[in-house]
Amino acid sequence: MGNQFEAPALGRRGFIASVLATGAVGFGWGVMPGAGRPALAASNASFSPVNLIEIGADGIVTVNVTKSEMGQHVGTAFAQIVCEELEAPWGAMRIKHVDSDPQWGLMVTGGSWSINWTFDALSRAGAAGRTSLIAAAAKTWGVAADTLSASEGKVSGGGKSISFSELVASGAVSGAWTADDLKKLTLKKPASYKIIGKSVQALDIPLKVNGTAKYGIDFKLAGMLYGKIILPPTRNGATAKSVDDSAAKAIPGFVKALSLKDPSGSFTGLVVSVAETYWAAMRGAALVKVDWDAGPNAKVDDAALAAEAKRLQADPSEGATWVREGDAGAALAKAGKVITAEYTTGLNLHAPMEPTNATAEFKDGVWHLHGGNQFQTMSVPLVAKALEVDPSKVVLHQYWLGGGFGRRLLGDYFIPAALATKALGRPVKVVYSRTDDMRLDCARSPSWQKLSGAVADGKVAALTHDVACGWPTNNVAPALLGDDLDKKNKVDVFAINGADVWYTFPNHHVRLLDNKLAEATVPPGYLRSVAPGFTVWALESFVDELAHAANVDPVAFRLAHLDGAGKNDVGAQRLAAVLRQAVARSGYSSKKLPEGTAFGVAISQGQERAAATFTACVAEVTVNKKTGKFGINKLTVVYDVGTAISPDGVISQMESATLWGLSLALYETTTIRDGAIVAANFDGYTPTRMSQVPPMDMSYIATGVFPTGTGEPATTVVAPAIGNAIAMASGARVRALPITPAHVKAAMA
Amino acid sequence: MITINVNGHQQTLDVPPDMPLLWVLRDVLDLTGTKFGCGSNLCGACTVHKDGKAVRSCQVSIGDAAGANITTIEGLGAAGEHPVQAAWIKEQVPACGYCQSGQIMNAAAFLAANPDPEDEEIVRAMEGNLCRCSQYVRIQKAIKTAAETMKTGGAATNG
Repeated sequence: MGNQFEAPALGRRGFIASVLATGAVGFGWGVMPGAGRPALAASNASFSPVNLIEIGADGIVTVNVTKSEMGQHVGTAFAQIVCEELEAPWGAMRIKHVDSDPQWGLMVTGGSWSINWTFDALSRAGAAGRTSLIAAAAKTWGVAADTLSASEGKVSGGGKSISFSELVASGAVSGAWTADDLKKLTLKKPASYKIIGKSVQALDIPLKVNGTAKYGIDFKLAGMLYGKIILPPTRNGATAKSVDDSAAKAIPGFVKALSLKDPSGSFTGLVVSVAETYWAAMRGAALVKVDWDAGPNAKVDDAALAAEAKRLQADPSEGATWVREGDAGAALAKAGKVITAEYTTGLNLHAPMEPTNATAEFKDGVWHLHGGNQFQTMSVPLVAKALEVDPSKVVLHQYWLGGGFGRRLLGDYFIPAALATKALGRPVKVVYSRTDDMRLDCARSPSWQKLSGAVADGKVAALTHDVACGWPTNNVAPALLGDDLDKKNKVDVFAINGADVWYTFPNHHVRLLDNKLAEATVPPGYLRSVAPGFTVWALESFVDELAHAANVDPVAFRLAHLDGAGKNDVGAQRLAAVLRQAVARSGYSSKKLPEGTAFGVAISQGQERAAATFTACVAEVTVNKKTGKFGINKLTVVYDVGTAISPDGVISQMESATLWGLSLALYETTTIRDGAIVAANFDGYTPTRMSQVPPMDMSYIATGVFPTGTGEPATTVVAPAIGNAIAMASGARVRALPITPAHVKAAMA
Repeated sequence: MITINVNGHQQTLDVPPDMPLLWVLRDVLDLTGTKFGCGSNLCGACTVHKDGKAVRSCQVSIGDAAGANITTIEGLGAAGEHPVQAAWIKEQVPACGYCQSGQIMNAAAFLAANPDPEDEEIVRAMEGNLCRCSQYVRIQKAIKTAAETMKTGGAATNG
């Protein structure tokens, strides 16, 4: 993985940015924020070495945060990184979450990429600021810059000292930093960090305990109207034949029901009840009569999607090749005993606590959309397409996000507000009810995975892994599809990441199959932990099945395959280290467990090899063999984060990602019936609540190498660790998520 | 016309009596700290105090709230100084933060009635408040921290 101490090659970021910048969506977004952009003109009010930061004459340092804030405290981490190199006092740091603008380059918040992708640029922005401030002081005093140093917001040397604010106010600070200049700066070594590695209080938290934090749903304009969507009978493909709002006119404040055409194709049938208040819009919506054509998916259910997945898996001509090591097919044909298993996950919803919503306003020829968003680079052109205007005429205004989890990577929820505003000539705020939010979700597609393997001499001799699912990138950003190994087929890396493991398998074949029926029925999106949320579930469960077949302890079996050979160098060793730490902390090797209680382990790279966060989980589980009921005694999770910006921030994200993983493992799923998502609220879709939280032990390794992401990795390992523990404790191998006592009981029979 | 007291201010409102208190607070009085989450008494994001007791404001019509004293997150401790809010900062509870007004209001009413709770009582009291970011470990810890503060003299003023 190259030099672990330096910024990774542009990789995925470069690919996404280059595709989106070169006309695929017709919008000029660059790769890097800040670098190479002209600095703002120097003045005595503020100094901005690059557009990511601004140093005021009052000494306040504002960091322009290009990532969305949805619980990660990413802005605080940004401020710490800048503060470190700038040598500003921590109390001077402020964060500003910026609106969409091409000057910010690629704007996407997901994939646990944020810190990994920006650490270098932010460090250099801070270092550039410090260098310019020192140069200004040197010039003012007529001394050489290398005789001066900066600390705590002051430049000092030769017995003199001047504050950053005085320097800026004097107008002496200047310097336009080009990308090449920035590259030449020498950054600090971890040993001299002062603020990186400190658990500072997150800058967004005070606002979130006194009610003043403004989320998208809290935005209000004088004279705006409120809209409530009227749900079509199917998730996708329905059209409104006629709309009758005469009965709704009796509701005071009701304006009208709009039947809207969406040129972006995000909505095939879109009917919005509009009123002077949201309450009136809701009451009106209940009285509007819509004659719907339910469309082509009206008969589709889970069984139909599963049948399509099986058809694809049975056809060797289908699919894209993602991994090919050796010849797995030939090796399996020669093997004495081939083990085959099928793993599934159900339909999973984002259901952020802040239901999807947006407000639109048309002012001076520009469309202003208000609402939290995770992927401005794609959402702007999507909204522009719906409005039939040039993307340069659309601005997305950013707010705190009441949860993202990938839901707000797709900007479809801006469209009802935008089209209603266009139709009425007045600003409209459309708030999805919880049922609208669930039933119009870009849900994570169900997945169907088939694995076959053979063991010899205590190791894996061959493994094939077929993954079938709806591809989220086909729905959200088709331009970002990649090529498969043979350059013959398109591949959605966000439907297959995680299947490309750091284990050394002599014969390994991974194939990705595109379930188009799943995509047509419920156009899928990215859900927290993305593909590894299901690929790791199947793979790490099946690795245990192979370990049992080889009669080797599951930990020893994994370590034997983490030899770091060839392309697995460095990563395999880091993965082995987190596994060893999780084993040690959980008592896996030392603790005597009663009958019916066992440990299960699972490991993963987090999201993708190029930005890997090495992760291990040990679950200790007790199973009642009569009833199938089980309890989670403890979850031990270990990350390797390279460098922790805020230790408490890392632990917070680990707790959150672990419990999201637990929720997907045990509690969350819904189904598709008659082309519609069945769940309607938090009684039918049931995420983890406080009583379901098991004891947890969170720790991480930080050796000072380049930082990696923390928001998702743990999500990938919880389900397989629990499934493996259940199998170890009871012999019941469960292969479908979520795992229920009934599944466990059935698997024992 | 319906009269209620919100955060110590008398309000006389011309709204339909069946309008939920939630939407009156948010859309009429601009008190947007109280959040809409489910509309069905399933998530607790809209929790406020009605005469000192925690209620889900999506389930209380403004007609039924007539004459009552309502406290929202904005009135609990405007500067975030209520012991529960202070504990929420100390334990760094909020992630996305959207559910936290409801969590805090629920916890404040609970602690006012039960100043020295057992762990299981905390879980039972908070079970109806969903946190999609799953900050439950921190919520539990912060409630204990707040209980400790309130015991040692940091008295809570609970509307």
